[in-house]
Amino acid sequence: MVSQRPIKVLLAKLGLDIHWKGIVTLSRLLRDAGMEVIYLGNQFPDEIAAAAAQETPDVVGLSTLSGNHLTLGPKVVEKLREWGMEDIVVIMGGVIPPNDIAELKRRGIAEVFGPDTPVQEIIDFIRSQITDIKREGKIDE
Amino acid sequence: MHKERRFRNNMRLFNQEQISQIKREKQSWIEQCLKDRGLMEEGGERTYSGIPLKLIYCPDDIEDLDYIKDLGFSGSPPFTRGIYPNMYRGRAFTIRQLAGFGTPEDCNQRLKYLMSRGATGLNIVLDMPTIRGYDSDSPQAEGNVGQCGVALDSVDDLHSLFRDIPLDRISVSLVTHLPSVTLILLSMFMVMAQERGIPFEKLSGTTQNDFIMETAVGSAPEILPPDDSFRMQCDVIEYVTQILPRWNPISFNGYNLREAGTDAVTEVGVAICNAIETAQEIIRRGREVDSFIQRFSFFWDLHNDFFEEIAKCRASRRVWYKVVSNRLKARSLRSHLMRFHVQTSGITLPSIEPLNNIARAAIQGLAAVLGGAQSLHIDSYDEAYSAPTEKAALISLRTQQILQVEAGVTKVVDPLGGSYLVEYLTDQMEKKISEFIDKIEAMGGIIKIVENGWLHQHIAEFSYRQQKDIEEGKLKIVGVNYLQGEDRGIPSEIFQYPETEKRQAEKLRRLRRERNSVLWRRAMEEVRKACKRSSNLMPSIIEAVKARATLGELHSVFKESFGLWSFPLS
Repeated sequence: MVSQRPIKVLLAKLGLDIHWKGIVTLSRLLRDAGMEVIYLGNQFPDEIAAAAAQETPDVVGLSTLSGNHLTLGPKVVEKLREWGMEDIVVIMGGVIPPNDIAELKRRGIAEVFGPDTPVQEIIDFIRSQITDIKREGKIDE
Repeated sequence: MHKERRFRNNMRLFNQEQISQIKREKQSWIEQCLKDRGLMEEGGERTYSGIPLKLIYCPDDIEDLDYIKDLGFSGSPPFTRGIYPNMYRGRAFTIRQLAGFGTPEDCNQRLKYLMSRGATGLNIVLDMPTIRGYDSDSPQAEGNVGQCGVALDSVDDLHSLFRDIPLDRISVSLVTHLPSVTLILLSMFMVMAQERGIPFEKLSGTTQNDFIMETAVGSAPEILPPDDSFRMQCDVIEYVTQILPRWNPISFNGYNLREAGTDAVTEVGVAICNAIETAQEIIRRGREVDSFIQRFSFFWDLHNDFFEEIAKCRASRRVWYKVVSNRLKARSLRSHLMRFHVQTSGITLPSIEPLNNIARAAIQGLAAVLGGAQSLHIDSYDEAYSAPTEKAALISLRTQQILQVEAGVTKVVDPLGGSYLVEYLTDQMEKKISEFIDKIEAMGGIIKIVENGWLHQHIAEFSYRQQKDIEEGKLKIVGVNYLQGEDRGIPSEIFQYPETEKRQAEKLRRLRRERNSVLWRRAMEEVRKACKRSSNLMPSIIEAVKARATLGELHSVFKESFGLWSFPLS
């Protein structure tokens, strides 16, 4: 048996968005659920990719409530791909108009969680994406 | 000038004999009529900030209330019942709906629309780059220009924003958040007015200018240190109170702190602590307290707990009166008035079944009116999706007008004064707010609790507990975690922001090409020098703005001069 490490999540406030309450609360609730969480604070796509290269998370979570989701969200996905980290699952949350969700998914965001999403739903989604094999496999690297 | 009424009889509302009789009658009522006697015990229900509630409130719950000392009359100390004698009969609260998106030219249209439908004040919300001091063409601004607020880069944008709007007749609130940005945007506002030929003494309005917004409530990639931000906050007040007699240079902002995650006590307590230290600093700079404190204003968040929120408004006026009188030793009666703007609570408006938010916001707005607010913004139902559509903004505006002329709630001053419950809660809120202020001061004061991250942790802890209460169903939200429907009710129309980035960038290119670069460079150098001195920053910034320096250029000077501070939260 390979011992399992916890799911590792990198969270960031996207760009200039100032609303930190949700993402900081989420980081605590994900820790409660047994995940390893690193909160980067406000970061731009390049820095997020650089942090991901260093931390090798399973998931990158981006929070924004101020309208930069379509511009900067997919950019994070692109940067991760450039750095060869296409296996990282990128999720987003915040105030994101429903009409933009399809576009975000088309451009590589795995899921978008609006306000009022129960945290359990986010936890379940992350667990469904990060299979046991993936976590064991990573330890061998 | 007013005199303390020191030598007078106790003015309790009920004498001891009456209270004893009421207590006896209450006991027999409990025994004879109340099936579940447990209901009379305190604490089965609590207010949002945790004050235990009884089933019913009676005179004996406010037996110590001294009418003259604790309530008095409207426009008289301690101002519990309102700050003006005639309150809304004299002048109705200002209908001040937020507006802001796109370029200033786009936003000008929305301002005119609101005015044409009866708005009596303007309230400008800024996009994130403007809030944080970046030009629209800076790399950091990408994706945020004109989103969630209007983009403002130079004094020319202020001209566009207020084109054809009579600034000598309508008051303007600029929601500037940070003191560093207030220094620049208020300078732009003043230069714009000067260039339009409007005398400074005619300008009326408010800038937010709260260092807690810069250092705790909002996070950002680059943040100025709290003590420098506090200095800038005081610079604005010191300068503006001598030049713009009708301007409120600061709006001590409880609102955003509450939205970020606190209860009503922390909301008011932090704002008043900030106000005390600000006043002390300006006194230290050599100004008489009565020469500036009348221009202080406050900003409250009216949340769901109807009676507690009304009690908060009443209690905060009383706390402020006592602070100004006992600690700051002001002499003029006007110095003791706590004037406040209210915005209904955005955080209480879910995305699920959003039309229900019209009801929520109306109830919160009613609490503001019963609490004696000076101006009001009512949030729109669709704010969990985007900025409000014109239709949603109109409903908010109309809700205010319904409160003013249809509901009959503005005809009598402080209509809930004397309510056993409301007086009891007002007293409890006053105690809790005062204790909180003492606690902050014992920890070293407002700047200290920002610097060491105590305030950030306090917010994070509250938000965490609240989210757990929502997840566990302890905090019920109709349609969200309680009595859910089938349909999420996504609005058919969601506001789409106009393209802004390119248009702002083009204007900036033109501005930089056409301005006199010699004058600009010289003015920028003066700002740099002023940052190194301890004298007021505002005069040099006004000159730089005249030379067409941009927001981002000036803010960069602050970042270079004062350095950056790291947000104490991970």
